[in-house]
Amino acid sequence: MTTILPPTDSVAPPVPFDPELAAALTAINEMLPPAFTADQIQSLRSGGPQFLITNEELERGGKFTVAERVVPGLDGDPDISLLICTPTAATGTLGCVYNIHGGGMIVGDNRMGVPEVQDWAEELDLVVVSVQYRLAPETPHPGPVNDCYAGLLWTAEHADELGFDASRLVVTGASAGGGLAAAVTLMARDKGGPELAGQVLNCPMLDDRNDTASSWQMAGRGIWDRTANDTGWTALLGDARGGPEVSPYAAPARATDLSNLPPTFVDVGSAETFRDEDIAYANRIWLAGGRAELHVWPGCFHGFDGFVPQARLSQEAKATRLRWLHRLLDA
Amino acid sequence: MKDLAVRLAALDADAGAALQVIAYFDSLVEARAGLQSIVRGAAVLAGCPARLEDDERRLRIRVDQAGVSSLSPEPVDPAWLRMPIHGDGPAALWLERAGPPGPVEAMILERASGAARGVLDRTRGRARTPDPASVELVLDAGADPELRRTAARGLGLPADRPVHAIALAGGGAAVAAADAPPPPGRAGIGPPGTVLELPVSWTAARTALRFAADGTDEDPGPTVVHFAQLGALTLLAELPAAQIPDVRALEHAGSGAPWLLSTLDAVAGGVSLRAAATALRVHHSTLQDRIVHAEHLLGWNVREPHGRFRLQLALALRRLHRHR
Repeated sequence: MTTILPPTDSVAPPVPFDPELAAALTAINEMLPPAFTADQIQSLRSGGPQFLITNEELERGGKFTVAERVVPGLDGDPDISLLICTPTAATGTLGCVYNIHGGGMIVGDNRMGVPEVQDWAEELDLVVVSVQYRLAPETPHPGPVNDCYAGLLWTAEHADELGFDASRLVVTGASAGGGLAAAVTLMARDKGGPELAGQVLNCPMLDDRNDTASSWQMAGRGIWDRTANDTGWTALLGDARGGPEVSPYAAPARATDLSNLPPTFVDVGSAETFRDEDIAYANRIWLAGGRAELHVWPGCFHGFDGFVPQARLSQEAKATRLRWLHRLLDA
Repeated sequence: MKDLAVRLAALDADAGAALQVIAYFDSLVEARAGLQSIVRGAAVLAGCPARLEDDERRLRIRVDQAGVSSLSPEPVDPAWLRMPIHGDGPAALWLERAGPPGPVEAMILERASGAARGVLDRTRGRARTPDPASVELVLDAGADPELRRTAARGLGLPADRPVHAIALAGGGAAVAAADAPPPPGRAGIGPPGTVLELPVSWTAARTALRFAADGTDEDPGPTVVHFAQLGALTLLAELPAAQIPDVRALEHAGSGAPWLLSTLDAVAGGVSLRAAATALRVHHSTLQDRIVHAEHLLGWNVREPHGRFRLQLALALRRLHRHR
């Protein structure tokens, strides 16, 4: 593991949090401190199940049927599980949103983040497919991203069976899921995979180098600071983290070519580690002649809209994503 | 790792939840959050819609438990949980849930209403009752100037704009920025100046107050008088009390008909008889009849310039006499 020293005398003062989010952050940090190290991964995982999302919640009183499918892994990898929520009352042609959960590559399951995606699905008539990928450090790169890509391939190939129009397939993810969504989008482009309609990258984890100004600026604050980020990337990449050999499918910020990507939505908080790498990713898509939309939410910490969905800025962020999807899919 | 409401629901009714509520609103206050954020916090933490209603300031905010602002045409239900914003006023923070409150709800009501009170007092300028001792100090020419400046700051007087003293009916004193609206009721207003000139402004304000009328039929005339607009009339205030025949004539005439003094005041102050008739809401010919009657009682013509000046002077002297 490379030890990175802060740039001398140049660490900017932290961005203040939005007042509503700051008020909630105190309680959130009791469950999830800004920083944690590898020895805390197990306790983070055991903190999860008390908030498990049940099938009953996913069914939303009959609005969705919920199924789990076991499908083959990539190139002889173990099978993977897909959670599939299909809207029951949809009238027109269905689309599909392929969801990759967050959790820093090291925690979480494929029910995380599904409720928000179901909000999109209800409004836009989408099948929701959420992939259970293997986690680091037990499964280092490329295991996690290959699982995600295998699930995406299966989903695209079974569009008819799942009942959606293959030209209306969108990938999405938050945090580590956003990074993995960006990665499978690159893989689909490079390996002749499915033609994607778009990618929605919510505060994506893109850059294993963990050395942007925002990563230093927000150290020790908010959610998922640079120490936690180091923990996640090191779990995925081991000693290779930050070195010259990291694949863009592990860390999409490493991609040298961001051309020929589907329409991309990126959003991120101004008060989080990922601010600068996410802004740079959107900017590099534009520089490559691509289509991207970028929203930087002021004073917001990592994952703010998931942790504090009632806050005003959370409502705006969620509404903005939905409006983008409308523009993308309403054609 | 879900949202705060889930966390608080799990802790409901125990001391930990109350502490979370305290920390939540303390943090909002520290960050100078707005009223929407405060009401949203109350709604989300209580798990039911919350309202802030302040008729005095024409303020209505309602946020539901999902954090969405949604005004409702339904009036508040008196059975709902409520905490007044100010102890004596109708403004209140409401939770749309019938009582009695649990310990967490009580804490939410207390902390949210306190936070809202802070924002309202800071941003919407509630007219706080000024400290009478501080007012007395800034009007005292003999007091130490530094103490007077400090007291003026405490009263919220601007340091960079003119201020003036106000003499109120009944002997009360007030101080205000010179561009602030006058208080309701009878008032004399001193000339504008610096904070340290307030004692001079105060002396003049008390003089101006003597020229201010109650604004009734019995005591018609302006209720608010600025000393700076009185001109040489102020000299009259320095005269010793005396029986003046023209004032006696006014008292005599006024005792016969309730409308007479207000009619004469309108004639003395109006730009024309037609304007006076409009102000009095009587027909022009009615006014003519009344003036003839008044002139008969007074013994002089009030329509020609000299007689009109004599009337103005007599009315001013009458107010000075009444408000000694």
